[in-house]
Amino acid sequence: MIATPVAQDILKILSKNSRIPVSDIAKMLGISATVVAETITALEEAEVIVRYTTVVNEQKMPQMKRKIRALIEVGIRPERDRGFDDIARRIAQYPNVVAHYLISGAYDFLLIVEGDSLEEISSFVSDKLASTDNVRSTSTHFIMKKYKEKGILIGEQEAPERLAIMP
Amino acid sequence: MSLELSRRVLDLPPSGIRKFFDLVVGAKDIISLGVGEPDFATPWTVRSEGVYAIEHGRTSYTSNLGLLACREAVSGYLKTRFSVSYDPAAEILLTIGVSEAVDIVLRTLLDPGDEVIVPEPSYVCYGPLVKMAGGTVVAMDTSDSGFIPTADTVASRVTSRTKALILCSPSNPTGRVIPRETLVALLDLAVREKFWIIADEVYAELVYDVTFTSVASLPGAKSHVILLNGFSKAFAMTGWRLGYLCAPAEVVAQANKIHQYSALCAPIMAQYAAIEAVKNGLQDLEMMRVSYEHRRNYVVTAFQEMGLSLHAPEGAFYCFPSIRETGLSSETFAMRLLEEKRVAVVPGSVFGLGGEGHIRCCYAADFDLLKEALSRIAAFVASL
Repeated sequence: MIATPVAQDILKILSKNSRIPVSDIAKMLGISATVVAETITALEEAEVIVRYTTVVNEQKMPQMKRKIRALIEVGIRPERDRGFDDIARRIAQYPNVVAHYLISGAYDFLLIVEGDSLEEISSFVSDKLASTDNVRSTSTHFIMKKYKEKGILIGEQEAPERLAIMP
Repeated sequence: MSLELSRRVLDLPPSGIRKFFDLVVGAKDIISLGVGEPDFATPWTVRSEGVYAIEHGRTSYTSNLGLLACREAVSGYLKTRFSVSYDPAAEILLTIGVSEAVDIVLRTLLDPGDEVIVPEPSYVCYGPLVKMAGGTVVAMDTSDSGFIPTADTVASRVTSRTKALILCSPSNPTGRVIPRETLVALLDLAVREKFWIIADEVYAELVYDVTFTSVASLPGAKSHVILLNGFSKAFAMTGWRLGYLCAPAEVVAQANKIHQYSALCAPIMAQYAAIEAVKNGLQDLEMMRVSYEHRRNYVVTAFQEMGLSLHAPEGAFYCFPSIRETGLSSETFAMRLLEEKRVAVVPGSVFGLGGEGHIRCCYAADFDLLKEALSRIAAFVASL
């Protein structure tokens, strides 16, 4: 059920709007709501769909305490016989690390780290990350402003004007 | 001596139903399914290429036919996407939208009294432009054959004065796509009876569960077919005003004379943007196509649930359900829907023969608004 083109169509629709009703997806794809519901359940059970989250524009909610985010490039000295994966597993466990990738180029890992303050992130880097075995170097870039996330432009978008009617 | 305006122009009907259209334009807080254009902005890569052209001072005239690079891009695109081949040097003319192409091709072909067969319901420009070119419109109702013009019906309209048949597939307003075997039969007829097929294929990229055949791709078509297409619908470029006319070199050369005197050339920045569209815009095109397809499926189901019958639209972004069951004329239906439920649709009667008893709904609208509009239409239909 998860290997079907319909499953892929459903995933594409859910990736854009995970709150869209099953009945709407069914109408959009011209299939029954039962098939849609069963496919989604199968995708969830197979952990193809890992979780439903939200894209938030914190700038619209000044009263909300905003998380500080940083991108951290990490240089690694790979362990004999163990490669990057073991080190990655240890780093990725920290709750401050919200994303963790192995990358090509001058550094080996790219982390996205989140904290309540600059200090929290700094101390995470110095106390936890830099002191992890085989971490050779780190380079921290604090995020100052968010323009786009998960393919969605953040901020005011003008809706272009269109004629209301034309043949 | 006289200051009177041309009788020919005065006699032209305004496009659409003036009273109703004015009402829609003046209305506030309505949901409009009455538009005829994509709800997407032009893909960014294409927009930025247009900006680049302007920044770099590419603001001049181009050759009358259009930039060779753009004609080459169009030629390559037509070859890959529709298996038709036109020589960029002599068989392609870039026009100001497909609208200009329709106008100049008719003026190129018609002498006074020449007849043009126009299957209806159809887009509103063909009849008036035939008249402006001095020709006679032979309107043909296609509502009995699911809005597909059949070769038999066309044959019954052919006379010694028939000069051309206009085909618009996928169709505005019905969304129908003419099947390949019908095109073959129509082309056979055109070859046998010696008339031109003017094929307006501006919606060719927006086709859903059927395969689109360009009539120009059929064997032996090139000597009888004038292919019109453009960037407006496929690449969401309506405001750029760029279309093209593809035809045998002699037709292009003659049409280019009119184009040269009345338009000179298509906008240069649009031409540069169009090169980018065919080079790097196909992914955006596919994204938009899938999005229209989802909305089409939704709309078709919604109308079926309302109990309105319709021929499933296979292309474009229009749905043309019948509202006969309601007992209202299409104009009254549209007028009351606007007043009572704040939703604008286009009355089918605007589109000529066979259009009465239908409404045209454009589903290239924001999904949530579309959903809301359909539930209002359902409530309106239920209230009748």
